[in-house]
Amino acid sequence: MPKMVEIVSEPTIKRVEIIRTYEAVGTAQGPLRTLQLAGGELYWSRHVLWHLFVRDFVAGFRQKLLGYLWIVLMPLTGIASFVFMEMTGILNPGSTEIPYPIFVFIGTTVWGTFVAAITTVASGLINNADLVMRTNIPKIGLAVTGLASIAYNLLINLAVLVLLMGLFGRLPSIWAIFYPLAVLPIVVLGAGVGLILSVIGAVARDLTSMLVTLINLVMYITPVVYTAQFSNPWLQLIVRWNPLTYLVDTPRALFVAGRVPSPTGFALSTSLVLFTLWGGIHAFYLIKDKVAERL
Amino acid sequence: MGERAIRAEGLSKKFGLTLRQSMKYGLHDVARKLLGRRNGDDVLRTGEFWAVDDVNFELRSGQALGIMGVNGSGKTTLLRILNGVYAPDRGRVQIRGRVGALIAAGAGFAPMLSGRENVYINGSLLGLTTKEIKGLMDEIVAFSELGDFIDLPVKNYSSGMYVRLGFAVAALSRPDVLLMDEVLAVGDLNFQKKCFDQILQLKRSGTAIVLVSHSPGAIWSVCDRGLFMDHGRAIVEGGVEDVVRAYDDQNSRNAVAADQQFSQAAANSGELQLGASIAEAQAGAKVGTGDVVCTDFRIVRSESEARVDELDFREPFFVEVDVTIMKPIDDFILRVVADAMHYRNIVTLDNYEQGCPIGRIEPGQYRFRIDVTDQNFRPGAYIFNVAVVSRKIGVHLFLWLKCARIVVRNPRRYFLYSDPMAVVFFGATYSHVRLESSS
Repeated sequence: MPKMVEIVSEPTIKRVEIIRTYEAVGTAQGPLRTLQLAGGELYWSRHVLWHLFVRDFVAGFRQKLLGYLWIVLMPLTGIASFVFMEMTGILNPGSTEIPYPIFVFIGTTVWGTFVAAITTVASGLINNADLVMRTNIPKIGLAVTGLASIAYNLLINLAVLVLLMGLFGRLPSIWAIFYPLAVLPIVVLGAGVGLILSVIGAVARDLTSMLVTLINLVMYITPVVYTAQFSNPWLQLIVRWNPLTYLVDTPRALFVAGRVPSPTGFALSTSLVLFTLWGGIHAFYLIKDKVAERL
Repeated sequence: MGERAIRAEGLSKKFGLTLRQSMKYGLHDVARKLLGRRNGDDVLRTGEFWAVDDVNFELRSGQALGIMGVNGSGKTTLLRILNGVYAPDRGRVQIRGRVGALIAAGAGFAPMLSGRENVYINGSLLGLTTKEIKGLMDEIVAFSELGDFIDLPVKNYSSGMYVRLGFAVAALSRPDVLLMDEVLAVGDLNFQKKCFDQILQLKRSGTAIVLVSHSPGAIWSVCDRGLFMDHGRAIVEGGVEDVVRAYDDQNSRNAVAADQQFSQAAANSGELQLGASIAEAQAGAKVGTGDVVCTDFRIVRSESEARVDELDFREPFFVEVDVTIMKPIDDFILRVVADAMHYRNIVTLDNYEQGCPIGRIEPGQYRFRIDVTDQNFRPGAYIFNVAVVSRKIGVHLFLWLKCARIVVRNPRRYFLYSDPMAVVFFGATYSHVRLESSS
């Protein structure tokens, strides 16, 4: 028998005066206007984004034997193969001033974060197609909601890293507290690239996987699993002009040794990152209206 | 009259027919946008069509608009534009206040999470803060009648529970504008009644409601005004009853068209088939003994003498049948039988039965006319069959099933909503008295 329910409570919801206008826009919006829009929409949808993050986070670990332990185990198993190859001499990483497991752990963590930032932002709209079609959450919010879990994973990795340093009898440098800030540029770069891919990739689905394959090749000209000090002058030049070199090297050197190897390189790379982010946001806002009908 | 909640002006949205084309045009559009060119959004390219075409309406708070139309008429697309999912290709729409959308109840439910956790997610999707949802939680649980099940993972919910929870969150969040797509036909009768009550209460407290439904009953009970959509255009904009009438007529036309298409294959020869099977006859072929053939059968409007395929409610008409007789026939009987969409043989016209015996007919060409002065078909689609029999012979000399189809349109004077299956209308007057004077 259904219970009789009396609903008497007064609405406890504050009335907000929002007026939305959807119209056919003939001309493109200015680049500053899109930044402003993005900021406003992200602020407006902060509650949704939080709940979506909690949803993805909790749902990802329910009904799994090891539960939250996965976050710790994944990065450790990830470096095992590299450490094995280094030990057997198959891989010669070059002379690293820090123990190789630590070197490769930070390298793969930062690189993995970069690739994860690209793919989660790029697939944000497609994965949330249901919400795009049925709710009016700003699309940029749905695209970047996955970044929260990347930040979380990075924190866990940091804890694992401190443990790993302890195993080798080392202490992180005092500058290690700026490690998250040093990783930020590469995450932002990933997000910027991901934003462009999320809208174009929704139209042509294979674009993201094509780019990720390409990025994985770029890893070999970046000091991720080895120092990338090639004797070939051309390769040397490419590594020097590769902005990712500085984005990977800086957090690692900062964490372990407390120094920034090339401040100029890092500063230039960071400016490039900001430019990419701006371009990503701008492209996203120009194209996003063309996306929903193609999801 | 509340303040204006929605104003739509010239809203249009186009789609491509195939995925491949959609990708091609999509990439083209993307390139154009990135280059900052003015886009040609407002013109159709080959293979594109207007899913929503120049729709205009205004809705004030506390009003409800019902949108009806057959499948593919653009209702859901229109709702999605209102919800900000699709950007219009032409025109604009302005919406005031917080928008709640029930475009399919339970959007965004995560199967692994409990009902309670999902309420937080769903509530935030509707634009509530975490604190506001917390304040509403007890009410939502009570309304959805889920009780302890609220802490069960929603993947274990029945579809009814799923929908009840979704509706409870949307309705109790008290949005300023509520968009609903065919969600009232869910749950058991008791819950449906509760939904209606809640919706009417929302209306009274000033929520503007847009309801898309195929159910005339739901539209009629909730909405003040309506839109009838066909091929993306709002053909009728006005009273709910007019919209329901237009929708019903459209359905009748579609029923006729579908039936016609179905039997086209067999009927296209048009030649008499001697000794054909009953299956062929049912597919629309002419069958018979060869003594007599009907060459044409038409419904003619009494007023204009023109062949028609639609009649007004209770409009008089003629049946005209052209007949070629090959051999003399004694006690000739012409019989016309009508079917409704769901019932066979609901009415017959038989000259002998109605006191007009014809007697013997010699070979030659004849035109028979039946004058129907007081037909009382309810609005809907009807199919005619014609047969020639002789009183002395026990078989059909000629049989032509589905020889004509007509649509009887809804009248302006009556609102015939009560049962779409009913086929006959009786004129009647109504009165009532109270039996015991007081208690």
